[in-house]
Amino acid sequence: MNPIDRFQSVWHDPNDYARKRKQQTGRKILGYFCSYAPEELIHAAGLWPFRLLGTRGEVRMADTHLQSYCCSLVRGGLEAALNGSLDFLDGAVFPHTCDSIQRLSDIWRLNAGFAHHFDAVLPVRLDSPSARQYMIDVLNEFRQELADAFGTEISDDAVWQAIGDYNRIREKLRTLYELRSRAPGLFDPSTVHRIMTAAMVMERREFFEQINAFLEGVDPDAAGLGDTGRKRVVLSGGICTHPDIYELLARAGADVVWDDLCTGARYFEGRIAEDGPDPVAALADRYMERTVCPAKHRDTTARARALVDMVRQQQAGGVIFLLLKFCDPHAFDYPYLKKFLDEAGIPSLLLEIEEQPPPEGQLMTRFETFVDMLSD
Amino acid sequence: MITAGIDIGSITAKAALIEDNRLLGTRLQFTGYNAQKAGKAVLEELIAQTGVQREQIALVVSTGYGRNSVDFADKAITEITCHGAGAHFIDPETRFVIDVGGQDSKVIKIDAAGKVLDFAMNDKCAAGTGRFLEVMARAMEADLDDFGEISARAGNPASISSICTVFAESEVISLISKGETRENMIAGIHESVASRISAMARRVGVTEPVMMTGGVARNPGVVRALGKKLRVEIRVSPHAQLNGAIGAALLAARMQQAA
Repeated sequence: MNPIDRFQSVWHDPNDYARKRKQQTGRKILGYFCSYAPEELIHAAGLWPFRLLGTRGEVRMADTHLQSYCCSLVRGGLEAALNGSLDFLDGAVFPHTCDSIQRLSDIWRLNAGFAHHFDAVLPVRLDSPSARQYMIDVLNEFRQELADAFGTEISDDAVWQAIGDYNRIREKLRTLYELRSRAPGLFDPSTVHRIMTAAMVMERREFFEQINAFLEGVDPDAAGLGDTGRKRVVLSGGICTHPDIYELLARAGADVVWDDLCTGARYFEGRIAEDGPDPVAALADRYMERTVCPAKHRDTTARARALVDMVRQQQAGGVIFLLLKFCDPHAFDYPYLKKFLDEAGIPSLLLEIEEQPPPEGQLMTRFETFVDMLSD
Repeated sequence: MITAGIDIGSITAKAALIEDNRLLGTRLQFTGYNAQKAGKAVLEELIAQTGVQREQIALVVSTGYGRNSVDFADKAITEITCHGAGAHFIDPETRFVIDVGGQDSKVIKIDAAGKVLDFAMNDKCAAGTGRFLEVMARAMEADLDDFGEISARAGNPASISSICTVFAESEVISLISKGETRENMIAGIHESVASRISAMARRVGVTEPVMMTGGVARNPGVVRALGKKLRVEIRVSPHAQLNGAIGAALLAARMQQAA
């Protein structure tokens, strides 16, 4: 199977991929929900971190445990745990981010029935004097809990090794984004999205081989492919699980050239230092310094400034916000982000999404109008 | 040069002809089941009505929810962009358009040239649209065309707290059984629609003057309630339902000039 077909098949059914690959490799799998989950440590423990992205099916069982005002990531994630579609998981880790994820951790622990369960209670304020040491302590505690639970040791060398692996994967993902930004026509509109999903769910060494092979096959100067004649936009928000959005946007006349999604550029943002006395401190620094997600705090306007800078740097005409319905942290951030964009003269469009994409007709009316709004 | 705009809405199909920035004629009829047929029919009727020859029409732009089913149109443009252009044509001072149609409500901020600066539209739910009013009219056995006049006589508008059309209908039915007056109930329904739309408008940020378009703009009760909620004067387009079609014809003319 060539890399693009591999990515496509993993995107199509991540659970099936995990089940089969686990059989072949015997590697234990730890699920996680959020880009603050310290997956380098999971990888260093010889486990395979597997990003949980909700469900594409109906939510039935989870609604017995959750209020309907929980986001579809939380409801869908619990549904998948309860209906058996995550039967390959050996456990899951819940980093402290939003309220819903924290409560999901409790409900999951009591009802999902997996062998292992971890909470990583990361600091919320990342700019206080004690935050860095707190972060390091929490990561070390998680490292110890992981080692105890799986009867292994996680040496400094293993953590350094994992840091190297992750740096290399993230460099490749950045290269992929840069290629798309330079020449959006090089890929089908949803290709990068599918590869990003694969990056977060595939066994990482296999992913690294596949992304290398994929990038080697890309001719960045392929004649005529680069310029699509479409407008350039940036996506902002939490997670995106809908490849249709990229395809419909292209049909409406716009290419996504960058994003700040936690299933996108936030996943590869920031390189971890590969030298120093303490690998966990190096890890902590990336989580501390990366542009914050709205469930964390550092500098009141940093996120908005980063978004405006991103738009300018990517020479994008506008921003499309993809907010999961009922995601409070992102919804609370939106008004101030929009204000910053308005003041910078950058048009934006707000789209609320759930586990199912919005009806196509409605979506196209919004996208086409938004593209009309963007200046040439 | 003559251009045509065709607006296929969920309930009605509209057409407009423009010649040299002057409105030649308009036509409105029910969309019915087949949007494709509706587009053809409404243009043919308009041609017959105005005496314009089909060959004289240089360009056709379609808009509205059925815009892509008008297969003979030269281009499909969304109703939001068209409403901006249409409102600007009818009253160049307009800086904000509230368009409430059969199943959509939209708020559109426009610049001095009628170009869209920002917009929002309802999704997932038809509360605060023409369909909501239709359901309520049925529950009250009243004619929707009389709603505006009846509500003007309300002493104390009833409060309708449900957002959902189905629940609001049962709320109205319980109000009826409690003996609430028709005037108060209809005024309450208008306020409920106005609440939905004004929240959306505030999110985009209202810039005056405000023009209201779409079928619901013909209901002075909603216009009054909305003006009160937003604390602005609302100008009703004299071509409320035709605004989108007029905008489409104008954009067609602009395309033709640019070509």
